[in-house]
Amino acid sequence: MKDTFVITKQSFLRLLDSISKTHNVVSPYGDDNYIFETFNGSFTFNKYRAVTSIRQFLLPSQQLIEGYFQEDSYYKRPFCVVGAKACDLQSLKVQDYVFLDGDVDEDYKRMRENNIIISSDCTGFKDVCFCLALDINPYPEDMFDLNISPVDDIFIVDIGSEKGRKVVDNNRNLFQTVRDEYINERLNNRQRMLDSLKENIKKQGLVPKGALYELIKGGYENDVWELKAKDCVECGACIMNCPTCHCFLLCDAKKDSQFVRGRIWDGCQYKNFSRVAGGANPLKLRKERLRNRYIKKFEFFPDRIGVYACTGCGRCIESCIGKIDLREIFRNLYSKKAKV
Amino acid sequence: MGIYSPIKAKITKIIEETPSIKTFVLETEREFSFSTGQFVELTYPGVGEAPFTPSSSPLRKDEFEVTIMRVGRVTNLFHNAKVGDVLGLRGPYGKGYPVSEFKNKEILIVGGGVGLAPLRSLIFTLFSQINEFKKIIICYGARTPDDIVYKYQIHEWPKKKNVQLRLTVDRGDAEWKGNTGVVTTILDDLPIKIKEAISVVCGPPIMMKFTTLKLLELGFLSSNIYLSMEKNMSCGLGKCGHCRLGKYYVCKDGPVFKFEDIKDIHDIWD
Repeated sequence: MKDTFVITKQSFLRLLDSISKTHNVVSPYGDDNYIFETFNGSFTFNKYRAVTSIRQFLLPSQQLIEGYFQEDSYYKRPFCVVGAKACDLQSLKVQDYVFLDGDVDEDYKRMRENNIIISSDCTGFKDVCFCLALDINPYPEDMFDLNISPVDDIFIVDIGSEKGRKVVDNNRNLFQTVRDEYINERLNNRQRMLDSLKENIKKQGLVPKGALYELIKGGYENDVWELKAKDCVECGACIMNCPTCHCFLLCDAKKDSQFVRGRIWDGCQYKNFSRVAGGANPLKLRKERLRNRYIKKFEFFPDRIGVYACTGCGRCIESCIGKIDLREIFRNLYSKKAKV
Repeated sequence: MGIYSPIKAKITKIIEETPSIKTFVLETEREFSFSTGQFVELTYPGVGEAPFTPSSSPLRKDEFEVTIMRVGRVTNLFHNAKVGDVLGLRGPYGKGYPVSEFKNKEILIVGGGVGLAPLRSLIFTLFSQINEFKKIIICYGARTPDDIVYKYQIHEWPKKKNVQLRLTVDRGDAEWKGNTGVVTTILDDLPIKIKEAISVVCGPPIMMKFTTLKLLELGFLSSNIYLSMEKNMSCGLGKCGHCRLGKYYVCKDGPVFKFEDIKDIHDIWD
C-alpha cells in the first residue's frame, strides 16, 4: 500500500471528528500565537509551532501516580496531537530516552503508545526559530504517525507509523491518491521555506552547530552566566515551555485516609532544585542554575545519547521575561573564545 | 505497581545512636534485597521521601537497617516514628561498592559522622568474607564522643583478624582519652602499601573533600579512592533530573564513584 495520500480540508475535519471518538484531539488555535486546545469542530493550520510544547500531552504538568489527581479523567484518555512541528518531534528522542530507557515510566509509555501525532510542515517561522541551525528541517521526516503538508487547497498526508496506517485504513474513504504535481509543489514549498529560514538564521549570526558542545564545555568560567543571570526572575517559563525539559518532583500527600503520590514538573532554574536536606546546594546562585541548563542540554545529552537537547524552537527566548536569549549566550561564548 | 510506588516497611526496632541520629530496623512486606552501597527511598506516608543507604549487612534477609540523622522535614518525622509504624520503601537503586574488586587488597575505610552508616554495611560485607582481604583499617571521626554512632559494637570490630580501628573527635570531653582533631589527622602512618591500597570514604561534603585531598597527598591512586556522593534526589531512577553530576546521575551511575571518574567535573564538593 502506498504511504502518501491527499485529503481535502473538509475531509480532514471529518477525520479529526472521527478520531475524537477515541482520543482527546488537541490542535493549535490562534492567529500568530497558537495555543493547543481541544478540537472544537474547526481547524486552523498553524504556520509554525504552538507557543507551548507537546510535552503536556505525554506527561501532564501535574499527574497522579497513585490516587490523587485522578478526578482529572481528561488525561486518562489518549491524545491526538495535531499540528506538532519537526522541532516538537525531535524532542521525543530526548523524552523517550529519559522515560523509556532502563526502568520504564508506565504513564509515559502508555501515552506514547496510544497517542496519535499528526504533525505538519512549517509554512512560516517566528523570528526566534532556529531549528535549521541544529540541522532540523522545518518539515517532519520521522517520529510522526501522520504528517500533513498543505498544497493548493488540500493536504498531502504521509504515513509515518503503523498507528498512522491504521488511522488511514479506518477512514479510507476520506483519503485520495496523490498526484505527482502535488508532490512537486510540496518540494518547491519546502525548498522555499528552507531558503527563507536560512536567510533568517544568517541574520541571527548563529554559532555553528558543531561548536556548541565545546563552547559549553570550555565556557564554565565565562562571565556570560553571571551577566545574563542578572536578568533571570526565576519564573521558570523557559522550563515549562521547553520541549526537552523533563525534570520532575515526586510529591506525597494525604487524601482522606489514603496516601497519594503525584508527579509535578520541576526545573533547574528554581532555587531549591538541588538543595539537600543538610542545607548544601550546588546550584545556589542564579548563574550556576542558568549554566546548569545549558550544560544539561548541550553537554550532558550529547554525552549520553549523542543529540543536543535543543530543537531550535526558540520557546525559551520567546517566553523569557528577562529577555535572556540562547543565541546571544552562544554568540558571547563564541566571541570570548575567538579572542583568546 | 509503577516504578515510583513504594512497598510497606514496618519499623520493628529503633536504636538511639546519638542525640540526632537513630537506627531503624525495618521489616518489608515482601522479600527485599540489596547490594552493599546501594540506596533506598524511604517514604513517610503522605509527606515525602528521602534517600538512605542501608547500614546493615545485605546478607541479612529478614530485615534491614537504616541510620538516619535528623536534618529536615522528612527525617524529623522519621525520628518521631514509633515501633510498629509503617513506612514506604522503594529500591534498591544505584550501583553499590564493587566488593569483588577489593579482594586480596588492603582497604582503608574513612567515615565522618552519620557517613559511617553505609560504610557499616560495607564493613559487615567485608567481615563476612574476611579472609579475602589482606587488611581493613577503619578510621572514623565524629564531632564529639556523644556523636559517635554504633558505640555498642564499634569496639568489637578490631577484635577481628587484620582489622584496625582508629577513632577521633573534633572536640573531646572529660572522659575522652583518644585522638582529638578532624578525621584527616588520623590518616598518617597507615600500616599499608598505599600505592596498591583501596580507600572508601563517606561523610559530609567538606569531610569528603579534605579526606580525598589527604589521601591523594599520601599517595593513594585516584582510581583506588571510592566516594559516596550526595545530591538532591527524587526518583532514584535517572529520570527526574535532580542529581546530575557531570555526565552522570548520582542515583543511577553512583552513588559510589571512583574519584578518577569524577575528578575533572567542576565543583564536585559543593
